[in-house]
Amino acid sequence: MTPLDRGLLRLMRIRGAATGAALVAAAAVAEVALRESSPLPWGALTAPALLIFAYLAVWAPPRRYRAWGYRMDGEELRVRRGVWTRVHTLVPLDHVQHIDVSQGPLERALGICSLVLHTAGTLHSQIVLPGLTRDTAERMRDEIRTRIREEPA
Amino acid sequence: MSDGADRRLHPATILLRFVKEGPSLLALPAGLAFASRTGLSGALALAALLVALLLAAKWVAWRRFRYGVGPAEIVIESGVLHRNRRSIPFDRIQDVDIERSFLARLFGLAKVRIETGAGGKDEGLLDSVSLAEAYRLRETVRARRTDAAPAEAADESPALFAMDVPRLLLFGLFSFSLVYIAGLFALLQTFDRFLPFDIYDPARWVGLVGEYLPHRWTLGAIAGVLIVAALLGSAAGILRTLARDFGFRLSLEGERFRRERGLLTRSEVVIARRRVQLAQVQTGPLRGSFGWSGLSFQTLGAGTDASGLQGAAPFATRAEIEAVLAEAPPLRLPPPPELARVSRRHILRSAAARLGPALAAILALSAWERAALLLLALLPLLAVAAALDRRFHLYALADDLLFVARGYWRRRLWLVPVKNVQSLSLSRGPIQRRLGLATLAIDTAGASLLNSPRIVDLRSDVAEALAAEISRRRQAQPLLRMSGKPVAHPE
Repeated sequence: MTPLDRGLLRLMRIRGAATGAALVAAAAVAEVALRESSPLPWGALTAPALLIFAYLAVWAPPRRYRAWGYRMDGEELRVRRGVWTRVHTLVPLDHVQHIDVSQGPLERALGICSLVLHTAGTLHSQIVLPGLTRDTAERMRDEIRTRIREEPA
Repeated sequence: MSDGADRRLHPATILLRFVKEGPSLLALPAGLAFASRTGLSGALALAALLVALLLAAKWVAWRRFRYGVGPAEIVIESGVLHRNRRSIPFDRIQDVDIERSFLARLFGLAKVRIETGAGGKDEGLLDSVSLAEAYRLRETVRARRTDAAPAEAADESPALFAMDVPRLLLFGLFSFSLVYIAGLFALLQTFDRFLPFDIYDPARWVGLVGEYLPHRWTLGAIAGVLIVAALLGSAAGILRTLARDFGFRLSLEGERFRRERGLLTRSEVVIARRRVQLAQVQTGPLRGSFGWSGLSFQTLGAGTDASGLQGAAPFATRAEIEAVLAEAPPLRLPPPPELARVSRRHILRSAAARLGPALAAILALSAWERAALLLLALLPLLAVAAALDRRFHLYALADDLLFVARGYWRRRLWLVPVKNVQSLSLSRGPIQRRLGLATLAIDTAGASLLNSPRIVDLRSDVAEALAAEISRRRQAQPLLRMSGKPVAHPE
């Protein structure tokens, strides 16, 4: 399985840190606001929030990043992801309906983009492969496009 | 206006929609009359105003809705402020469904749904036109399609499957349902302040029962209540089945299945044979033991019910189901020995999954009534249920078909042609990893979230081998596009 671009790890860290920071800020504000009336000791809200921050920004991203992987072997794309529940998806390429290459502002800054395969299926109507360099994503898209076109319409 | 769109819906549509939506609108003035002191005259004035407004709105919508048959397409123009012009090329039209609700039948109208490959529900909905116009549209579409099969009249094609009244009654009996009684109570609850007594006064109910039965809450009394409930449940099931499936008839016309059914609302649905993605056979412990089961098709696009399925033979014998499936190759029923069971450890996982909610329910009950703790003695029954789960969870891959069976109470058997598999997902949760298990989910077009084939708790290596084999067999199939959607353009 091919690992994804390191940029994705950075993206996960930034997102985790942002969520964690919001949580810590909320906890701190609550702490200050409730200082008089709360029976809880000082830091009872902020300390756990800091732990969650550490989990989201430091501990979880590398694990989640390592869980991702993909392989394209001719007729199908395999995508592996998930830390707690590990999911391994096989997408037959000739059934792909259309393909997007998408890039958000944060992704653009980190030089990565996502490849989105749309299938006619309902459970996984979109298979998202994040953290590809622009080159890789476009190469894969072109390759998949030829697979779609090979069949008679 | 623009060329092509030269027809309007039947004028009675205005009335039809008014009758449909009017009553809910009148709830407001009715509530007002109750709640405030404006009195009856104020409420009546408001009601009249609302009626006039609604009629006017319906009239404008009707004025602004046009459709027509162009040289190569059907054109629909709609929208009061935001005009929308839609053209549906004849080649993209799968078929024309006609549905007639009870109200529409009173007005001599029919709802026409132009079915295309895409999933949108209201792609080409003409609500409503006269019945003659509906048939004319259908004939026009059939005649103009380039790949049109030789035109056949609806009544000439022989029935593949039909249900007569005795069969319907039997079906209704098996569709025993207490849901409708619950519905009746819900209705009573809404109107309870208009009732002359309090329906939540237990003493009243006990008293009522006591009046009719000599001894209170003897076994006989309980049995009596149960029998009454069973009778009501059966009656509800029979009525519902009769209303929905009266005159059920499935026939094959060229490349399409046609299904007609309904007592009050008469519907006619067409399922293109090549758009059938998979079939499902449903049955239950009781029904199954008498040899009855139901067959549904999963198709692409609109017109399916909430489960994503179209009933093809709701209450049939195995032979009848085989006869219908014979017309939808490569679908067929599996010979029983072909099916294998999932891992033994599925029992463990299944028991664990049931234990949590059961424990929580018992503990919650016991907080209220201490005696509920006695129910803990029933917990070993969960092991039995878990064993049944595994006993009825079967799968097999035979040639180009995948079979998945699941459920004891609600027995479902999926027949999935491997070429219709859109993607395969192997997932392993934390507990599954410890037990060396994996779940294989098979995604197909048009499946619903809850009604999609999954093989739960296969041994990891077996699951991987099965996924690889499905994928291999799928590729070995001649390339045949089964989805109605065109290959879309990337980006």
